[in-house]
Amino acid sequence: MINAIARIGTTTINVTRTFRDILSFAFTIILKMFNKNSYNSATRQVLIHQIYFTSVQILPLFIGISIIFGTLLMGIVLQIIKNLGLAEHMGRILMDLVVTELAPFVTVLLIALRSSSAINAEIAVMKVNKELNTLDKFNIKAVDYLFLPRVINGILSVVLLSALFSILVLTSGLLFSKLLFGLSLQSYSNVLLSSANFYDIVISLVKCCTFGFFITLIPIRFGLRATNDLTSIPISVLNGMVDVFIAIIFIEVLSLILIFI
Amino acid sequence: MRLFEDEVTLDKELNDFTEKHKKNLGLVSLDVPLISNLDVWVNIALIKQYHENLSADKAQKLVLSYLTRYSLDHISNKRNPDLTNKERFYVMLLRAAMVRNSIVAIDRPFTIIPDVQDDRFIYDALKVVDDSFKECHIFDYLWSKDRYGMIPV
Repeated sequence: MINAIARIGTTTINVTRTFRDILSFAFTIILKMFNKNSYNSATRQVLIHQIYFTSVQILPLFIGISIIFGTLLMGIVLQIIKNLGLAEHMGRILMDLVVTELAPFVTVLLIALRSSSAINAEIAVMKVNKELNTLDKFNIKAVDYLFLPRVINGILSVVLLSALFSILVLTSGLLFSKLLFGLSLQSYSNVLLSSANFYDIVISLVKCCTFGFFITLIPIRFGLRATNDLTSIPISVLNGMVDVFIAIIFIEVLSLILIFI
Repeated sequence: MRLFEDEVTLDKELNDFTEKHKKNLGLVSLDVPLISNLDVWVNIALIKQYHENLSADKAQKLVLSYLTRYSLDHISNKRNPDLTNKERFYVMLLRAAMVRNSIVAIDRPFTIIPDVQDDRFIYDALKVVDDSFKECHIFDYLWSKDRYGMIPV
């Protein structure tokens, strides 16, 4: 019994420490983000490369998934709307479902699977290879040169790809709205535009930014926890990715609560 | 040239030296490796880009001009694992020389270039870029003294 309580206590302390650690690191990064001295030719170059790796290289896969997944989903959703006789709420349902919920979630999952794991492994390998020591010896702040561009890239990538996902899915919805409801392009656009709510777009934007921030920040933090041992790399990636998914679910739940309050 | 009897003393002296000259230090050491996911030219240019905000284009041209001095312009797009020991030493030395008013410290050079017998290679390498640094200090073991004939001990 005492052992069980001790285990619960230890787990709670560890979780609290991790949470505090990540929040404190997040605070440091946010401060750096708004400090113009953090930006120079080297950090801009890293940022451009990161955007290319995260947002551009993934485009063919991302567009393919958006079109296939989006077309199927829109077909099903519009069919259900028709069957339930909710045609007059079509615009609102599509905007809420696609723009506010689905687009950020699908985008963040894809980027987390591809880029978060890569960032985690990259930082861990740099730590093991003493490359972070190199930066330190040459008075290059790892926060400015390595971490900040990656976090900014995370935010930009999730926002931009999420917008792209919304556009592609809503465009594929045009096909089904024509087949099921006989709506023209003009009418379909009017339905969507009249349903667009500024508050929803702000929520969606804030959610994308928060997703992008944490799915890059957490892998960096866990990458830094690697020791000088090569075997610490997979452990660091594993722990980091688990926490990334917990963070995604946490942010999603929090945003749902905010929307429904 | 600074020669020491054992590893502990050498590490301590080197640490003190790096702390003392932290601002202008250009360290050449296996403990300060090249960044493996960056090309050679980016590894060298990074110092000027970060500290002097030199644009990527200008920094690349500058690095290429230095690599050409060693007839190594063909390695500018290679990465650390693809370099020979001598190439790696040149690149580390150039990176150290990029620091403004650089005080170059070479830590146990023969561990970076184990296939080199004496200091002729190091001497020649330093001579080519001696306009780029203020001072150069070599840290090594006392028993390596015989390997240094060109550089005054």
